[in-house]
Amino acid sequence: MTRLIKYEFYKLFCKRSILVVLILFSVMNLFKINSEFHSYSYLADGNDSCSWNSVYWQLYENYRGEITAEKINHLLSIYQPLADATADMTASTAKDNPDMMTGNIYSDRNILEKYYVKPMEYFYHYRTYALKVAERAKENAAVYKERGQTYEVRKNSVIYNLYSGRNIKAFAYEEMYNYYLNYDFSGILVLFLCLYGVIGTFVCEKETQMDMLLLTNPGGGKKTTLAKIAAASLFVISVAVWFSVVDYIGFAYFFGTEEGGNLPLYAVSNFSTAAVNCNLWQYAILSALIRAVGVWTMSMVFLLISMFWRNTLVPFVADFGAALCFIITGASQSYFSNIWLKIINPYSLLANRILFSKTEFIGFAGYPIQSFQAAIFLGITVGVVSITAMMMLSKRNSYCRERRIKCLDLCTK
Amino acid sequence: MSGFMYEVKKIMFHQRGLFYIALVLLLGTVWLALSDSPYDNAMEQYKNEYEWYLEKVNGYCTEESSLYLEQEAERIAEAKERENSLLENYYDGKISESEYKKESREMEKVLEQQNGFEVIYQQYLYICENVGNRCFLQTNGWMGLLGKGTLNFILFLGILLIATPVFCSEYSCQMDTLILTSREGRKSSLYKLLIMITVVLFLSLSISLIEYEFYRFKYGLPNGDYPIQSIRYFADSSKGISLLEGYVYIGLLRMFGGVFLTILLMFLSVLAKKYAITLLTGAVSVIIPYIGLSKTSVYRLPLPLPFLLGTDFFSGDIVLSDALTGDDKIIFAEVNTVMLLTLLFVSVFLCTLAVVWILRRNSNRWLMRSGQKKRAEVFVVILSLALALTGCSGRGKTESVVYNSSADYDCMGYEIIRDAGTFDYCLKNTSTGATYSLVRSPMFGVFSDEEEVRAFYVCPPYLYYTTSVMESYVNRVGNYNSNITKVSVIELNLNTFEEKIIFEQITNSGRSLLGIDYVTGDKWKFLDFHHAFFLSDENIFFIDNDGITKVNRSTRKIVKLDIPTNGNISFDGESIFYKNKQGVLTRYYVSSNETYTYENIVAYDFCMDEQSIYYVSRTDGGCLYSCGKDGNNRELISNIPAMSVTCDTGNIYVLSKEGGEEIVIQKKH
Repeated sequence: MTRLIKYEFYKLFCKRSILVVLILFSVMNLFKINSEFHSYSYLADGNDSCSWNSVYWQLYENYRGEITAEKINHLLSIYQPLADATADMTASTAKDNPDMMTGNIYSDRNILEKYYVKPMEYFYHYRTYALKVAERAKENAAVYKERGQTYEVRKNSVIYNLYSGRNIKAFAYEEMYNYYLNYDFSGILVLFLCLYGVIGTFVCEKETQMDMLLLTNPGGGKKTTLAKIAAASLFVISVAVWFSVVDYIGFAYFFGTEEGGNLPLYAVSNFSTAAVNCNLWQYAILSALIRAVGVWTMSMVFLLISMFWRNTLVPFVADFGAALCFIITGASQSYFSNIWLKIINPYSLLANRILFSKTEFIGFAGYPIQSFQAAIFLGITVGVVSITAMMMLSKRNSYCRERRIKCLDLCTK
Repeated sequence: MSGFMYEVKKIMFHQRGLFYIALVLLLGTVWLALSDSPYDNAMEQYKNEYEWYLEKVNGYCTEESSLYLEQEAERIAEAKERENSLLENYYDGKISESEYKKESREMEKVLEQQNGFEVIYQQYLYICENVGNRCFLQTNGWMGLLGKGTLNFILFLGILLIATPVFCSEYSCQMDTLILTSREGRKSSLYKLLIMITVVLFLSLSISLIEYEFYRFKYGLPNGDYPIQSIRYFADSSKGISLLEGYVYIGLLRMFGGVFLTILLMFLSVLAKKYAITLLTGAVSVIIPYIGLSKTSVYRLPLPLPFLLGTDFFSGDIVLSDALTGDDKIIFAEVNTVMLLTLLFVSVFLCTLAVVWILRRNSNRWLMRSGQKKRAEVFVVILSLALALTGCSGRGKTESVVYNSSADYDCMGYEIIRDAGTFDYCLKNTSTGATYSLVRSPMFGVFSDEEEVRAFYVCPPYLYYTTSVMESYVNRVGNYNSNITKVSVIELNLNTFEEKIIFEQITNSGRSLLGIDYVTGDKWKFLDFHHAFFLSDENIFFIDNDGITKVNRSTRKIVKLDIPTNGNISFDGESIFYKNKQGVLTRYYVSSNETYTYENIVAYDFCMDEQSIYYVSRTDGGCLYSCGKDGNNRELISNIPAMSVTCDTGNIYVLSKEGGEEIVIQKKH
């Protein structure tokens, strides 16, 4: 079987066209990451001594690491006079002031406010915020207990456990991770590449009428179908993981740092109510795995759809249209509170911040299930159902069996 | 039958071309009808009033029209003021009824069209920014027709379906070589190209005409000769073309975009000879630049995408100020005419090269050409294209309950209080004194100041409240994703404390989906300004300072009700009770959209419960009366002059006019 999978993998995916598309998409992805950095980061202004980039990293050594009262006081002693001086917007707008780090008083205030004061304020206060959430959850649990709402009691207990120990102890640069976690472009590339890769899995043999011939082979029939599915799964998971690695390396390279990996996930303000307690680097791995599950689910559905046609045209356009629908509805529904719509859409697994950035639950048999757990479960279920359907729909090795029976009959005569 | 007809038959019937054409046109029309909403909601709602003013100022903003609008603004402001003082004088007995009626009729005439005036005045302010090239006109039709700028996915998928099999089907069964041996065979590829170009031109033209007819029928497309800058989407455009010319040019560019995509697909299918790679490359050449590149870059690439979009070739620079640094950032740089023509020329050249290559590849002559030369041609086309590519809710179970917007909430033994320290809303049990957080989510409002409770409505056993949440994502100007404002209506069961979101809506007029910015119109903007609401099984009514907006819970249809909201608003599940502009109590039947005026009840203030209406009469110095919902059985309750009245289940609360103290009167049952 392993040999068969290996053979199918080489036959279907080790093609020049796939390699070319993979390289082309990887390069496009890197270009896009570079443009994200230049479009969104204020630190993409060069290496001039007065640039924000230089000033930020000069100051960084003073404030990185454990957040202490001395560091906060030191930061405020620089920031507060600037904030006071610029409060009425009458300060000088000169851009070559030698007393200023960036040459301009407003610019100095802005860089300190955006990159040091606000993040440090958020980090420092996060423990209080989380404690408040935990307390509220505890109160809620008591209220619901009085009213006999078991599901709500359990849900609030989970929230209590999730938030009670939350704390951001250290200060670090988290901008790279912020944009990395909000990056969706590679997900689309992965989806297109996987669609292209898997679409020919069954169809190419039908186009050349090899499917009939295969059934006469001892390894043909359901065995070949299973091998094809396994090879396609291997391919799509590899592609998803590859692009996750390219994303991470790309972001670390273009932002010039991978600082902040040890910060908890909720240190990124969009993830303040994150569904899991893990570090940013741990989340990067988790995210890559979940994305692979999402891509695998969608690819299995693509494969199933392609089984019904004899050429690539209709299944490709149908799958492409379905993928576009998933992407558009998934992206537009991501801001709403309807958890079921997020769970049933496999796009949520691809751009998994939709599931991980908020602590959301659905009830199942009286137990609270976090949205990401439900989405993973549903994704895997859809994938498995698709595989089962493909196995049931694939033809048995009937030709071969008949021939064998005939041979046996002849022998016995 | 000629070879041409054979090809037509093959493409249209065997490859289901005709079916796909019909499907694209059908789906395109259905989608257009379903997805359309007016860009300026007020212009549509107060169409008659707006058109009344438009007739007077239509066209360029002249000194006369400017003077007229300024004078009209002054006249309306004065009339509003005069109307109020007239009313006060009449109820205070300073003027007689006949005098009041005579004068108020005049005021009414002035104020009759004021809603339409507000719309035209907003347009006037826009025109004043550049009087030279902006005109007064009905903009909703033109805005819908020209101001969308998004890709027509249905047409795009249709072209993929129709164009790809034209050559691929021949290659898949190796008919291509056989065709070349037949008498008409060598012309086959030319026929194919001609048929496909005609089909795509027909499709694009039909879609453009359907769109034109749709908007002409729905909103009207008047004054096509006015400058394109008259609609906001093209505000800063430097191109001196009219709206109709804009439509024609955009339509022509889209037709070219369709042809370009078709030729690209046919080129790829001849080159790759396989469905999958042709479809992938065709799809990627459109979708990836659309999602991955900025609009400025997209409109500078010799690819089908900018032509398929078309619109922004005629829009001007979009410059926004960075919120942090205050620096200007160019969101979109205008495509000047020279650049547009160059792009068009390069694209036509690429198309020609591709067509020539397809024809040569499918004629017997190519067999005699040297392989190197052939490869060089392919290389030129591929390189050109590669360069272009890299381009550098559940329903509420409401019972009959009477809502008074000015009254306190009687929530089944709970009182809604606001914590003085944290500003969080809490429910206080009036008997035990225990307090519970109103919003059941422990995370709400903790991490962000932009999450707030806006209004309440009680309908036992449910307490409904609205929340406004602003979420920030990638914090940089030029990305609509930066901020999302979301208004939700939440149902809280006061017995079980279970809560459920029954309505949710993003209010921003600009959105971004995977980096593609699009405009949704301002129809949900009113949610940002609501300060109270109430609901029935079918509708939710949001109250803001401008009036009440009715939103259907299942269809989400919005209707703005002409109800003044400067006084109390009551709702008994079937009708809305309010004071009209003259202070006369009025009843609006929600189901039939009819109004009934209680001519004999002129009130300073009123409130109501299940049985009675309590009102402070304006005609006899502020005495408090009660009457039935039909206005009969009037009874004097208190003759102490009062300013306002509210009530709860057991008591009536009156604010006395003289001392300003609150008097509690027990209800008679």
